[in-house]
Amino acid sequence: MSFEFTKENLEKIEALKSRYPSPKALSLPCLWMAQYQERYISLEAIETIGDLIDLPPMEIYRVATFYTMFNLEPVGKYHIQLCKTLSCALCGKAEMLNHLKNRLGLSPGESSSDGAFTLTQVECLGSCGTAPVMQINDQYYENLTPEKIDIILDSLEEGS
Amino acid sequence: MSQIDIVIDNMTFTAEKGSLLIDLLIKHDLKVPYFCYHEALGADGNCRMCMVEIEGQKRPQIACDTLIKEEMVVRTKGENIDGVRRDILELELINHPIDCPVCDQAGECKLQDFYMDYGLYESNIKQSDKVHHRKHIDLGSSVILDQERCVLCARCTRFTSDITKTHELGIIGRGDHACVSTMPGKKLDNPYAMNIVDLCPVGALTSKDFRFQQRVWFLTSSPSICHGCAKGCNIFIDHNREKYKDETIYRFRPRENQQVNGFFICDEGRLSYKKLQDNRQLDMILNGKSCEEAEALEAYRNLLEAGSGKIVILADANLYTEELEMIQIYAQKLGATLSSPMVSDLDDAFADEWLKSSQRASNAKAIEKLGIMTDLPDEKIALLINFNHPNTVSIDAERVISFRTNQQKEPADLILPLAVFSESSGTLTNEDGIEQYCPKVITRNDPAPTVIEWMIRCQEEVE
Repeated sequence: MSFEFTKENLEKIEALKSRYPSPKALSLPCLWMAQYQERYISLEAIETIGDLIDLPPMEIYRVATFYTMFNLEPVGKYHIQLCKTLSCALCGKAEMLNHLKNRLGLSPGESSSDGAFTLTQVECLGSCGTAPVMQINDQYYENLTPEKIDIILDSLEEGS
Repeated sequence: MSQIDIVIDNMTFTAEKGSLLIDLLIKHDLKVPYFCYHEALGADGNCRMCMVEIEGQKRPQIACDTLIKEEMVVRTKGENIDGVRRDILELELINHPIDCPVCDQAGECKLQDFYMDYGLYESNIKQSDKVHHRKHIDLGSSVILDQERCVLCARCTRFTSDITKTHELGIIGRGDHACVSTMPGKKLDNPYAMNIVDLCPVGALTSKDFRFQQRVWFLTSSPSICHGCAKGCNIFIDHNREKYKDETIYRFRPRENQQVNGFFICDEGRLSYKKLQDNRQLDMILNGKSCEEAEALEAYRNLLEAGSGKIVILADANLYTEELEMIQIYAQKLGATLSSPMVSDLDDAFADEWLKSSQRASNAKAIEKLGIMTDLPDEKIALLINFNHPNTVSIDAERVISFRTNQQKEPADLILPLAVFSESSGTLTNEDGIEQYCPKVITRNDPAPTVIEWMIRCQEEVE
């Protein structure tokens, strides 16, 4: 397997390079681009980024493992990230998790066999005022109830 | 840079302005605990153990990242600073396993030392609450990683990124889950990798070769010089004589010498201690049968006197200068040609630009200085006396006397055992012309004579 940035992303990287004294500053933007492009960051992507910005792959890998929002394993088309931190936990996260588990047949950390859904629990999403909260890909879904989750998942399943 | 005076623990020291405080503390043996600092790797400031109090500063400062300034007043001792160190040590030890009874580092472990110096607290952590990591990871290059024992000082990762520039190691993850690792599917692969075992202040990195072989407090460390190549790296030979057993070498460790090898040695040199005890020539062999010394010396004299003809003496370029000089005098006395053919010793595959020289003979420079020829005479050889030179295959001689440290296949009429470098003493001249004295370290129960001892015994018989 090999990884190549799209032409568009390569242009973005070139444009970003002019902003910093050294291309080495670009490991985070490059990791984001790789993740958006492939939904996860493969080792091949890390090697490619290393070549592009003149850093050893280990340095990129260290950064990628440090941040939990980088996925180093493939995730489904819809990555459901349920907040498990205090406010959400107090406002019914356990119930939401149970509902998601039953509805999708997945435990946290698992992906559905058709590759549509991945369920994970994450630390505070910073939206405590609207707890419980989940994030699907880049979209926040707030003030969750089991019924609301059903509606969201139904619409996603229709869409896919 | 100017020299200035600063006060440490009510004593005045002179130091260079702008140099690191920790270097001064180490230089004057002022006790300061540290994991991450290393003179070869520089300051990293991540372990926070080297806290000192500096007058005028609100909080304790780390000595490894503090530059020496005028009118500095430093305290390294006292209830306050000991308390700070104890608290930091407690953090380092939160998830440390209680492995000491089976850990190879025990006895030379900084965690143990600092716990005895500054810790001695009752643990607040239950054994069952500790975060677990992987315990037996073969990193490659004979290095084993135990992630639980690691204090994340990053010395090993800085060695691979700053010194060897091979970048195999890094600290991955964060918080409790942070650990040293290679890239998935990659191995530690460089010819200096085992230096990280010495660099590791705790038992996280251990040598596959040394693991479980010996407790370090039984070992005696004696200074010596590696004979692996003409670089002449300074080493410690760690050896021990167990009850009822013979003196045994367990490992080589690098010894600091800024003129020659800095702080490190190559892995091949490190493991070359095996040659000093494996497959040794121990018996005197006359015509294929072992014999007593009197018999051997008589045979030696007979071989020397059995008819005239060309005598050639071969000398190994790993012998000490004193031994070579003695052989040279002996050769003159016999009217023999002394040679030390070099061609077989050049090894470009081994060489690199740092500590590994293509000249594999450790004392080749002395051969050059003494003017010993390095090719063979074309004439027919009647008697060949070989002092451990490895290259005898192509030489055709009527009679052969061979002094050997290790067993070899080449036939000889008389084989006499010879002491290896650790069992003898003398001077080596390295490839840069630096003369280094190498003392005798090992005394075996049944010692093989050195070149000089043989020369004396043989000549007594001749006269």
